[in-house]
Amino acid sequence: MALLEIKNLCARVGEKEILKNFSLTINEGEIHAIMGPNGSGKSTLSNVIAGHPAYEVTSGEIYFKGLNVLEMTPDERANSGIFLAFQYPTELPGVGTALFLKTAMNAKLKFLGKPELDAVTFMKKLKVRANALGITDEMLKRPVNVGFSGGEKKKMETFQMAFLEPDFCILDEMDSGLDIDALRVVSTGVNVMREPKRSFLIITHYQRLLDYIEPDYVHIMVDGRIVESGDKNLALKLEEKGYESYK
Amino acid sequence: MKAINNLCLMGMNGVLADTPLKEGVNEIIVPENTLFEAKILHIFSDISLKILLVGDRSKCDVKIVYLCNKNNNYNINIEVIHEHKNTLSNHQIKGVLTDNAKMVLNGVIRMPKDSQKCEGFLNHRGVLLSENASVKVTPELEIFADDVKCSHGSAIGALDENQLFYLLARGIDKITAQKILLKAYLSDLLPDVWDEYIDDWMAKNVSTHV
Repeated sequence: MALLEIKNLCARVGEKEILKNFSLTINEGEIHAIMGPNGSGKSTLSNVIAGHPAYEVTSGEIYFKGLNVLEMTPDERANSGIFLAFQYPTELPGVGTALFLKTAMNAKLKFLGKPELDAVTFMKKLKVRANALGITDEMLKRPVNVGFSGGEKKKMETFQMAFLEPDFCILDEMDSGLDIDALRVVSTGVNVMREPKRSFLIITHYQRLLDYIEPDYVHIMVDGRIVESGDKNLALKLEEKGYESYK
Repeated sequence: MKAINNLCLMGMNGVLADTPLKEGVNEIIVPENTLFEAKILHIFSDISLKILLVGDRSKCDVKIVYLCNKNNNYNINIEVIHEHKNTLSNHQIKGVLTDNAKMVLNGVIRMPKDSQKCEGFLNHRGVLLSENASVKVTPELEIFADDVKCSHGSAIGALDENQLFYLLARGIDKITAQKILLKAYLSDLLPDVWDEYIDDWMAKNVSTHV
């Protein structure tokens, strides 16, 4: 069953058209990877799905679980089960990480009509997820992403994803700025989340990440649309030949 | 209800004077080895402080949080005079404005000829929640001594769009997200006692129109 359907999507930032008739369908349980050169519109795609106000959708449709995503606010999209792991996670000085996650979790539970977590259950759940990803108590006490290294920020994104248990995860250049150890931790964090009903969209420049997280489909994106789709072997081919032949 | 607009003079052996902020000019003379602390939550009226640092190691530490809404138009005037050498002043002012509110902040640090080894700092940051709100800041440094440290700075703007989006993308609604960011921004100037005032003000004044 289709979890996410993107049909003929066009979007722009300011006057610049970036997505040009972009279409993609992701079914439940599938992992799709989008690869493309700089400026092909990969990050625009993830921001448009999540609802960043700087991006304007000029035409096309996005459906998630059959719901019209473009009519939903960013928080409604998140609470419906869409999670964006940011390429550059934003620092929030003065906002404690634990409180931030509690607010996010309770927002989701409220949206789903479920009771909020009590403090004990929350902390227990938080600790379990944190330990698995090497997130220390000290990191949970710090303000969100403040003073974190590049690797710690990406671990924190993965941790938030594991904690909030979304149905659809967008990983926007998860591997950028990661050393090989951090890459291993982060991709293990993603792999343990693989479930028959949960889908992933992995955006990356390099084939390397796909050695750790094996995709069902690989798409090559150039100039705002998908120019070729295939299985994981397409990524290997791309690694060899580069993007030049698609331009 | 605890007084929130508190002016306090502290000597080496404890509190010398503890008075509430009054209307009109509050003139404070800070003798040697004494710290003047002002913690002011500004909601209802103008504020005027004239601080004279008159003895060796006189210090002042002024913290002001202002919250302005509707058609309110307020002034904050701070004048500090480093009359004696070896004195220190630090002023931190932060605020939030919405609707058609206007704030004028005049901050003057004076260091006459004999005020060597003095330090004076004034910092302001204002967040605008509406296009019609405004802040006018006139910081002024008047320095006649040559061995002093002195600086002022001011930044005025809306809430950071990317910070806001990060919270929204985690499922937090826009009003709550704005409150979280505003509270974080005010928190370093914010003794616990102000929390309920700020929460109450934000409940009434933070809306989705931003």
